[in-house]
Amino acid sequence: MPTRTYSQAINDALAEEMQRDENVILYGQDVAVWGGIFKVTDGLLEKFGPDRVFDTPISESVMVGAGVGAASMGLRPVVELQFADFVITAGDEIFFKAGMWRYMHGGAHTIPLVVRAPSGGSGFGPEHSACPEAFIMHAPGLLCAVPSTPQDAKGLLKQAIRLDNPVIYFEHKLLYQMRDEVPDGEVLTPFGKAVVRREGEAVTIVAWQDMLRRALSAAERLSREGIEVEIVDPRTLNPFDRETIIESVKKTGACIVVEEAYRTLGVGAEIGALLVEEALPYLDKPFKRLAIPDVPIPTSQHLVDAIVPSVDDIYRAVKELAD
Amino acid sequence: MDQEQLVRVYRNSVLARRFEAKIVELAMAGELPPALHVGAGQEVAQIAAIEALRPDDYILYGHRGVAYMVARGVSLADMLADMAGKEGATSRGKGGVMHVVDVPKGILGESGTLGGSFVVSVGVGMALKRKQPDTVVTYFFGDGTANRGPFHEALNWAAVQKLPCIYFCENNGFAISMPTSRSTAVENIADRAAGYNVPGVVVDGNDPVAVYEVMEQAVARARAGHGPTLIEAKVTRLQGHYVADQQEYRTDIDQVAEKDPLPKLQQTLCDRGILTQADVDDIQADADQKVEAAVSAMRAAPLLAPEVALQDVYA
Repeated sequence: MPTRTYSQAINDALAEEMQRDENVILYGQDVAVWGGIFKVTDGLLEKFGPDRVFDTPISESVMVGAGVGAASMGLRPVVELQFADFVITAGDEIFFKAGMWRYMHGGAHTIPLVVRAPSGGSGFGPEHSACPEAFIMHAPGLLCAVPSTPQDAKGLLKQAIRLDNPVIYFEHKLLYQMRDEVPDGEVLTPFGKAVVRREGEAVTIVAWQDMLRRALSAAERLSREGIEVEIVDPRTLNPFDRETIIESVKKTGACIVVEEAYRTLGVGAEIGALLVEEALPYLDKPFKRLAIPDVPIPTSQHLVDAIVPSVDDIYRAVKELAD
Repeated sequence: MDQEQLVRVYRNSVLARRFEAKIVELAMAGELPPALHVGAGQEVAQIAAIEALRPDDYILYGHRGVAYMVARGVSLADMLADMAGKEGATSRGKGGVMHVVDVPKGILGESGTLGGSFVVSVGVGMALKRKQPDTVVTYFFGDGTANRGPFHEALNWAAVQKLPCIYFCENNGFAISMPTSRSTAVENIADRAAGYNVPGVVVDGNDPVAVYEVMEQAVARARAGHGPTLIEAKVTRLQGHYVADQQEYRTDIDQVAEKDPLPKLQQTLCDRGILTQADVDDIQADADQKVEAAVSAMRAAPLLAPEVALQDVYA
């Protein structure tokens, strides 16, 4: 099977969907001539021309708001926000316009908009490093994708472009160079279908993107000690596949959520509440969250390492539960 | 603007004025929620501007009244249903009378946050340019709204892309209670057009012919692919910001009524022999009849079912 990087997979998805549907347009800061600050959209201007791939001024509000207006009138815009944190900068346009324009107008409008939001990573400081998925998951009207592999990066983006609802698509900055197999031919990943990345009996770990990668590393170490964890990758947070997580917890009796985001009212808090409401009889151990203590994400790497869940943190958390 | 058009502006202005007066009456009586920002005094400019558009052009509007919808022939009964939360409501109880929508009639809706539609209008313009060339979108907004950030982002990018967008500011001199002179550094909102390298035009909003002519030029420019125009109509807000607003903050309150453009338009039409007093009486009676029929239809309509609250989030 051919291999692609996560970044190439996103580029492939964009190229294929733009080829398939002339209503798909792509814009954002530096995406056209320069190919994006992370080079994800390299070459697309040459393939599709300046009418469909274009640079924008540093104007997040109008980038997203125009996406809503254009989508309501029949285009299928893909907007790149340079950093995922800027879903807050364009808060009115993300939460009110993309999330509510249809509802507020009684369903008269359809908003097939995709906002690509490079998230996570480090070295960029408090306003350029977040994984603000919980904000999106909390808000009505917004679908939310968190691809963790090149195949899902491609499949979820192609699916997102075809959906008739606004999708906030988080692409993790530390995964851009991850290389893995991507099947030939059409790759579409359904929304709302989690995948079990590793099977085990000891503990269910829910993690995505870079935290999934760390959880898989921890799982290798634990396996050498005879502890087999089960790892669930939700792939999309809205819609959210509750069943796969509950089924896994029925088997393991324990659950740890690992997330690269603030702890309070994060995605982990929602999963904890879900388990209390719907799976409490199956939980033999206390539910656990590994997350960023409620502080902004600093710039210096050793300070980032001090607050973002590590492979060691995951290893230790599982050991505590498994003992 | 020919005579037929001027009469239509008058006819629609009378209808809008009387329709809104009825809404206020029903709100004061407790039958409807007091949720309308009355447009009385500004409807002549709004309707004259829309007269310069074609039916296939699009409109995003501000919260000051329902004349835009009246000009496009949106059902009065459906707008009352918007207020009452009844079947027929254009936004199905989700947006009320502030978010009336009728896409086939070119009424695209309104942002809840003031000026939120600036940025939406840019996207509409982007889509029109690619999919419906030769059509335009006009965004009507107030002087207060012009102080929000999206004004800047939208005007700049619409101008760069030469989009078929027209920005029509209704400057009534107040942002709720705050006079424009205390909120805004420039004398005219249209002066800001220089910052976006687009034409900025100030026009007397109490003069429908002047408004129409300015709009006609802006529309021609937009259709020709030359981009946006920023129009500022100096208009008169006859009433308060909301239904029960007593306007204690206004010092011009004694002179307001004499600025009302609607009696002036009526006088002009009669003086020029375009309308007789009998015509005027007919137009007013016809408006009242339409309003009463709409009220009856709204009263007869059932309330929206509670489960409607759960619908329309996703396509």
